[in-house]
Amino acid sequence: MRVDAITVKDLKIVYRSLQSRSIKKNFLRAKKSERGNFVAVKGISFSIKEGEIVGIIGKNGSGKSTLLRALANIFSPDEGSIDIHDHTISLMAIGVGFQPSLTGRENILLSGMLLGFDEKEIRSKMTEIIEFSELGDFIDVPVKNYSSGMHSKLAFSITSILETDIMLVDEVLSVGDARFKQKSEEKMRNLIGDKHRTVVIVSHSISTLSKLCDKVIWMHEGEIKMYGDTQEVLYEYLEFMGADEK
Amino acid sequence: MLEKLIFDTKKYWKYTKYAAKSELKSEVANSHLNWIWWVLDPILQMLVYLFIAVFAIKSTLPYFPIYIFLGLTLWNFWSGLLKASLKLLKRNKGIVSKVYLPKLTLLFIRMMVNGFKMMISFGIVLIMMLCWRVPLSWNILYMIPLMLDLFLLTFGMCAIFMHYGVFVEDLSNVIDVALKLLFYMTGIFYSIEDRMGDAMGGVLVYILIYGNPISFIIQSMRNVLLYGKGVNLWVLLFWGGAGIFMSIIGVKLIYKYENSYVKVL
Repeated sequence: MRVDAITVKDLKIVYRSLQSRSIKKNFLRAKKSERGNFVAVKGISFSIKEGEIVGIIGKNGSGKSTLLRALANIFSPDEGSIDIHDHTISLMAIGVGFQPSLTGRENILLSGMLLGFDEKEIRSKMTEIIEFSELGDFIDVPVKNYSSGMHSKLAFSITSILETDIMLVDEVLSVGDARFKQKSEEKMRNLIGDKHRTVVIVSHSISTLSKLCDKVIWMHEGEIKMYGDTQEVLYEYLEFMGADEK
Repeated sequence: MLEKLIFDTKKYWKYTKYAAKSELKSEVANSHLNWIWWVLDPILQMLVYLFIAVFAIKSTLPYFPIYIFLGLTLWNFWSGLLKASLKLLKRNKGIVSKVYLPKLTLLFIRMMVNGFKMMISFGIVLIMMLCWRVPLSWNILYMIPLMLDLFLLTFGMCAIFMHYGVFVEDLSNVIDVALKLLFYMTGIFYSIEDRMGDAMGGVLVYILIYGNPISFIIQSMRNVLLYGKGVNLWVLLFWGGAGIFMSIIGVKLIYKYENSYVKVL
């Protein structure tokens, strides 16, 4: 029997009255502005088994991305808990922490360490990353001299080759020119298809979720409206959205 | 809290070092004079204030160029970090909104960068002391607790500023003005004792030197390195304690709001 990779219990995330203030404006305005709470995720519970691919769908502002960031520990729960059972987890974020004046090779180390990987591990995968990025000799040139396509290729290669047990994906990524786009899509499919890896994908694309996911969570106004078999959830979601639009 | 701080620091230590190194490297990457700027910058600053002090104030203090240089070295470290800490989270929004990173790591990186520059300046102080043949005494060992005080106070204040810098948009404007005032009150290029010795029956000197931690550290550092004098131990302990207290408050604040900053940025 497969064990849980992620267990979420009564998770609540509030965008509290945490607004930035200005001393000048406070002086000019005697009356303090009203500050309200916005509950982005309203006490949800669910679990994801090891090796499962779970999609999250929902209309804009339903709390999908907030939930994904909470799973990645970027947002802290205001109530409830998230347990990832000692697995490693990462949100696929492209080009995080790049220093433009450093070379591609140096940025692989910098970005990799920032994503929580050990220096040794990064160095052991350095050749693979460089090969996948197809940058050749440009790898020792400062990143500021890269074209945007080269930049994306390097960033994608780092994120996709340094793998974690649980992968969180905010919209399925494909970058670069047409050929690299195809290659990156294929890589994503391989990463997601790995039986040992648990994947959570946030997407608006019904076809992507339908093709890739074992299960789907439908988020609606911070709550889980439905969680279960991909086709069933997507059918209900489409019905609902159709009715909603009418 | 302490346990988490130690765990995070250990876990991200290699990243902290590498990121600090990268930052230093990228700072000089665009400059033709490269790393020489780290040496030239404090020396040129010293020459400006030396000019003011010698011609405008007519100071006759012994080892005066080293006196100014030492003051500037410590002041630049402290004030530079305070100013940077206010915008540290906003500047790193791209990172903190995409990956989890203990926010204090960003402060450690900044402290390492500024600490490295301060070490270069201290190297120059040493060379100047050799050139001027400054006699040394055992009191030089007070440098260690003084540096400890400086690091604790800087870390504590920066952690608190880093937190409020997110929530108060124009705090940096207020701090800029306050630091300018404090710069002239700290006695970087003049001696507070010589200039204000008799003001308010000597009370003003006492307040300006002992009531301002950076002023106390600068004057004490000059005393132990240049004039073979000791340090007021009670004041040293007091500011050390205040540094620990502020560090606790700062770390508590940062950990409490750690994963909430990104909701505001």
